[in-house]
Amino acid sequence: MRTEMNQYFAGVDIGSTMTKVVIVNEGLRASVVGPTGPEHRKLADKVMEEALEHAHLAFDDLTYIIATGYGRINVPFADKQITEITCHAKGLHSLLPTARTIIDIGGQDSKGIRIKNGKVIDFVMNDKCAAGTGRFLEIIADALNVPLDALGALSVSAEKVTPIANTCTVFAEQEVVSQLANGEPLASLTAGIHDAVAARICAMVNKLKIEQDVAVTGGGAKNIGLVKALEKRFGFALLVPHEPLLTGALGAALMAKELFQNAWAKGEKLKRSGEGLKEASLFL
Amino acid sequence: MAYALGIDVGSGYSKAVICEDKAIRSYAIAPSGGNYQETARNVAEEVLKKINLTLEDICFTLATGYGAAMVPFANSTATDISCHAAGIHLVFPSVRTLIDIGAQFSKVIRLDDAGRTLSFLLNEKCAGGSGKFLQVIARILHMGIDEIGPRSLASSNPVQFTTGCAVFAESEAVSRIAEGACAEDILAGIHKAMASKIVNLVTRIGLVGACAVTGGGAKDVGLVKTIESELNIEVLTPHDPQITAALGAALLALRMVSLNGGDKESEKRI
Repeated sequence: MRTEMNQYFAGVDIGSTMTKVVIVNEGLRASVVGPTGPEHRKLADKVMEEALEHAHLAFDDLTYIIATGYGRINVPFADKQITEITCHAKGLHSLLPTARTIIDIGGQDSKGIRIKNGKVIDFVMNDKCAAGTGRFLEIIADALNVPLDALGALSVSAEKVTPIANTCTVFAEQEVVSQLANGEPLASLTAGIHDAVAARICAMVNKLKIEQDVAVTGGGAKNIGLVKALEKRFGFALLVPHEPLLTGALGAALMAKELFQNAWAKGEKLKRSGEGLKEASLFL
Repeated sequence: MAYALGIDVGSGYSKAVICEDKAIRSYAIAPSGGNYQETARNVAEEVLKKINLTLEDICFTLATGYGAAMVPFANSTATDISCHAAGIHLVFPSVRTLIDIGAQFSKVIRLDDAGRTLSFLLNEKCAGGSGKFLQVIARILHMGIDEIGPRSLASSNPVQFTTGCAVFAESEAVSRIAEGACAEDILAGIHKAMASKIVNLVTRIGLVGACAVTGGGAKDVGLVKTIESELNIEVLTPHDPQITAALGAALLALRMVSLNGGDKESEKRI
């Protein structure tokens, strides 16, 4: 019989763009981020294998595993699936306990989540329109020929914000290209597109009764230009966790631990998936 | 007899129509490109040349469309909404609901029995219901825009798209292709996603009387058929659906001439 000290729990978050794995016991043991490819299953195996290696563990050392995110059903070795909304709330609460509202800006969607004691009380979501998601920034960055991770710094260096008239990503892409051709400074344009994304997200999140503190997570939180633009729109400072990509996977790992311990306290045993890691390879 | 020239400078194509009374004498279509002034001049020259006229023979030139302000030789401008209404009323007098599918916008116009606009709705914020969407899909499928319609009609199992967003649908299409979906089924799915955006506009404005589809989108038989099946009616499409607004502009130009007794606001030259 294992003691509690060497029980390990894992959370796997398969987002549209990135796959994240977090392993916890009493504290954080390992976290790995890898890009999501067309083959979710193999990738989940691969990222999990890497996380286990970081933690110097074997797959059989994991007591309970929860998958979350848009590709959560594609993780055969996970014991349970939980929506990313719940996992984000749980994960963020453990990192920033004062946060009452989460804005998660992902590669293909964005969400606003109101939380209380780590539990979801309300949420809004956009996964139907690319405007207001990471995808918008990705496409515009590409059109402007700026690396995605350089976009934020460039935008905070801008002397002015060029307003972007179009909401639609497709039209905004044409707009920035022609603005650039007309001599509009690149930095001002990037400031404009961050403001455009911020405006969309702000309008969506304002459908919730926002309570401070407000935290930003997801890939969008790593973009300083976007965070600043959001702060300007909201009129208050936002919290950003140290590793904003990992919130969902961390929440999943914490949920795994909590579920297991609650069951254990009642003398129950949780059902495992029984599937192990397959020979992991990114390519078929 | 008095000739009037209507010019519609759209975001995708520019169209010119010369009318004499209520009859089309000549028309021309050219891609708008990056210089609307030059395009307007070229398409006007072409439409005049076809029937051996010069601008002097034209009693009134009315410009409309996205680039209406870029037609220096026009005597006046009018909104594309009123030009569409006037144009379709001449071609199909029974039409009370008009769906126009342009390169960037789609719109639905309600008109009265005299061809006047009663109300309209634009889908200008989203590429999802516009011709741009078709161009994006044609590009990833490596086919000409004209091939899209017939290929879509050959589909037996349309792909279900989860969103009507052109950006997300593009990546969804790429994933479905990777999974082995054929071009026909992708196209039929895209037509369905587009049609549902357009039908949503029609439902909001209310479907009344006969319905026509115009604009470049009306040349896509797959899209038109999908709109028909979503609306559960048959729609009318003009012989050349792209020139409807330019035709309307020419008709409105003639009306202005008869109202003002042929007095041109100003003499302008190409």
